[in-house]
Amino acid sequence: MGLGRVYKTRSETVTALDSVDLKIREGELFGVLGPNGAGKTTLIKILVTLLLPTSGTARVDGFDVVTEYRRLRPRISIVSGGENAGYGILKVREQLWMFSQFYGMPSGPARARIDELLERLGLADVANRQISGLSSGMRQKMNLVRGLMTDPRVLFLDEPTVALDVGAARDLRQEVGRWMEEDPTRTVILTTHYMQEADDLCDRIAIVNKGRIVIEGTPHSLKAEVQRDVVVDLQLEPGTPLLDRLREVEGVGAASVREEDGIDRFSLLLVDDGVLTNVISTVERSGRRVAGLAKRQPTLEDAFVKLVGRSMSEEEAN
Amino acid sequence: MVVAPAARTWTGFTTAVRLGWAVSSNWTRPALFVIYAVLRPISTALILVVMYNVITGGRGNARTYLSFLIIGTAFWAFVNEGVSEFAVGILEDRGRFKMLKYAYLAPLRFPIFLVGRASSKLTSAAASVLIVLVVATVGLRLPISPLEVNYGLLAIACLLAFIAVMAFSIALSMILLAGRDAYGYGEIMAQVLYLFSGAIFPIAVLPGPLAFLASLSPLAYWLELTRRAILHGRVYEMFPNLSDGEVLLRLALATAGTVALGYLTYLWADRRARRKGYIDMDANF
Amino acid sequence: MNDRAEGARLFLKTIVARAYPRVVAANRQKSWVFFDLAFPLVGTFAMVFVYEGLHAPKQFLGFVVMGGAMLAFWQNVLWSMGAQFSWDRDNGTLELYAISPTTFEGVLLGMAVGAMFTTTIRGAAVLLIGSLLFGVSYSLSGILPAAGIFLLTLAALYCLGMLLASLFLFYSREAWHLSNALQEPVNFLSGLYFPVKALGAYVGGAASLIPLTLGLDAMRQVLLPGTPRFLSPGLETLAVAAQIPLFAFLAYSSLRFMEARARREGKLISKWS
Repeated sequence: MGLGRVYKTRSETVTALDSVDLKIREGELFGVLGPNGAGKTTLIKILVTLLLPTSGTARVDGFDVVTEYRRLRPRISIVSGGENAGYGILKVREQLWMFSQFYGMPSGPARARIDELLERLGLADVANRQISGLSSGMRQKMNLVRGLMTDPRVLFLDEPTVALDVGAARDLRQEVGRWMEEDPTRTVILTTHYMQEADDLCDRIAIVNKGRIVIEGTPHSLKAEVQRDVVVDLQLEPGTPLLDRLREVEGVGAASVREEDGIDRFSLLLVDDGVLTNVISTVERSGRRVAGLAKRQPTLEDAFVKLVGRSMSEEEAN
Repeated sequence: MVVAPAARTWTGFTTAVRLGWAVSSNWTRPALFVIYAVLRPISTALILVVMYNVITGGRGNARTYLSFLIIGTAFWAFVNEGVSEFAVGILEDRGRFKMLKYAYLAPLRFPIFLVGRASSKLTSAAASVLIVLVVATVGLRLPISPLEVNYGLLAIACLLAFIAVMAFSIALSMILLAGRDAYGYGEIMAQVLYLFSGAIFPIAVLPGPLAFLASLSPLAYWLELTRRAILHGRVYEMFPNLSDGEVLLRLALATAGTVALGYLTYLWADRRARRKGYIDMDANF
Repeated sequence: MNDRAEGARLFLKTIVARAYPRVVAANRQKSWVFFDLAFPLVGTFAMVFVYEGLHAPKQFLGFVVMGGAMLAFWQNVLWSMGAQFSWDRDNGTLELYAISPTTFEGVLLGMAVGAMFTTTIRGAAVLLIGSLLFGVSYSLSGILPAAGIFLLTLAALYCLGMLLASLFLFYSREAWHLSNALQEPVNFLSGLYFPVKALGAYVGGAASLIPLTLGLDAMRQVLLPGTPRFLSPGLETLAVAAQIPLFAFLAYSSLRFMEARARREGKLISKWS
């Protein structure tokens, strides 16, 4: 409640988290969505007891993260994207056993649990391979086994699929889903900047930007924010910059652009179909040629653009 | 863009020197400068001074031996930087900064890049050499006078030695790039050279076969000439029966041998590194 | 099981688990022969030849060989204890230690136990090879006391290593510079290659803060009769023994301070910041 975190250096003071109020229910897969630098990692660091808040309080599984951190730690676990932790000289099974010991797990049950999870994630064949010889996908699956093997009450996943190929990312998501199904009281808190991942996985989502929670709700309810709008994909061949001019067109609720294969792809949220005529006139006046135009269903990305005013990548660039 | 080969070589060389300077010289960080250019070499020199004092009591003719020890250990910084630190730098370029592959693929010939990197290392060693010599002259009252140094002999000897050190370290770095876990080997190699260089003891002290091996190394002749150039007649000599010219000739021959051997080794290691695909290996640092 | 017994069990498990990679590495990573054996050996040879060049009595070769063996431990303390937490931070392992229920003390002790085990083998190899090659002989009656002094020195040295591990975290993200800074100066001050008495009362007294200094001197005195006496071996042993609780306490305090500051500032143990 009222969670805040300020970083002070000699030259500046940065507010990474500003009065965040959030309640995550037991058994929920809760997504924290936002651009890089939004405050997601700071929030996670506080919740996993690595960082003290400068204001407010937080409880995880009923324990205060500031005063009861020793009792909380056995109940949580974290898996981060691109994680390289551990010792390359060890074999997969050995490394996992080592980490299990830091949680006080008896060796026998720990080994059985590790083997079971390795099997489920398709890593049984590499259980005796040295970690230095694993691909990044295998490595991240091993990290997930580490996160799951201690059977935490709350599992934190911090950008867990970043830089993974499609197959490995899918396997990871599937395993997280299966793990939650086994016990409905297990809770997962996921940070990501992949909209689709949040949309597919999460029961509820909070969109974070500039240290504040912009909105919180189910993926469906967030998309409903833009349900009444007309969402249009407008593809233009290269030319003079047009984003700001399109945003000024009356009836354009929000606009964002990304470049793909030499084509500028604009996403426009319009109050109704009629606005499209003004949009096309603006494009023609700029001298740019239309390469494609289509209406589509709203996504979380559209909700983000509408709520924040800019796309995630624009926010990151700022 | 078409660039004349000579201009390209020069540009590449100076870029490599600047890169080496920017990445690993310690001038801009006073704490690191103190560690590497003052603390470490002075401590090594002090170890030798105490050992010398324990045995000789610092008396009489033995002081020529103290000068021998100090000049040897001071100038050793060139080899340490040129071999050990250089190897670390190249492996850092590969594993830590991940830019070695770009230097390797650039139109510039890769050895020129390596020569540039080695040159910056040798230059940064000069500070440590000077500091040890000044401290020893003042603190131990060694009879070193800047006015009496034979700078011509010193320059020729150092030039030849630097060529030999570069040839050795470039071949060594290529060997290390042809391997996976190569960190630390550069330091070990520098230590091995230390044994065969006559830096802190005369090579005649070594057992027979080792003494013969040491007599093939250019480093022993370089350090002999360096000592003579700085303190002619007032320093212990490893080759009292050889004139300056004869020592210089041996240094030139040993340098030529080192360059030839280094070149062949480089070619072999380069082929191996490419065959194994290790040039752009994402090695642990 | 009560909290205290549970805590003790977790502590012991942590020590065993963290020692494990080090013991395994000795077997799996053959390159240690180069780094941990060849390096001290070559350095030892060089110093032996310096004494030979000075026509020193044979006894001095024994000083160097014993110093060379102990050098393996000092290097290990610097690089595998002092710098280890910084490397663990850089690859994210330190964070995982921090949010696990275990303690940094358990992790550090595990690191120390594993390192002591492997380095003792290396140190013994340097001692054996050096002694055989240069014909160094030792007093038989001194072997048992020397073994006792050695164990105390090791304990004090690795407690110092545990202290350095957290101190290095405060310095910067480049802990290896600190390891380098403490390499040659400590080689000099601890009298690795000459009797400590040669440093004189003031420098030798100050250098006695390093457990290596008095431990090595005491071992030399009992194993190599005629070693110039800095202090009596009994007094030196007592001083080394006193350093064990001192460094253990300092290491504990430093870890607590480091942990509190890390949580307050979000730095020190985190690779993110």
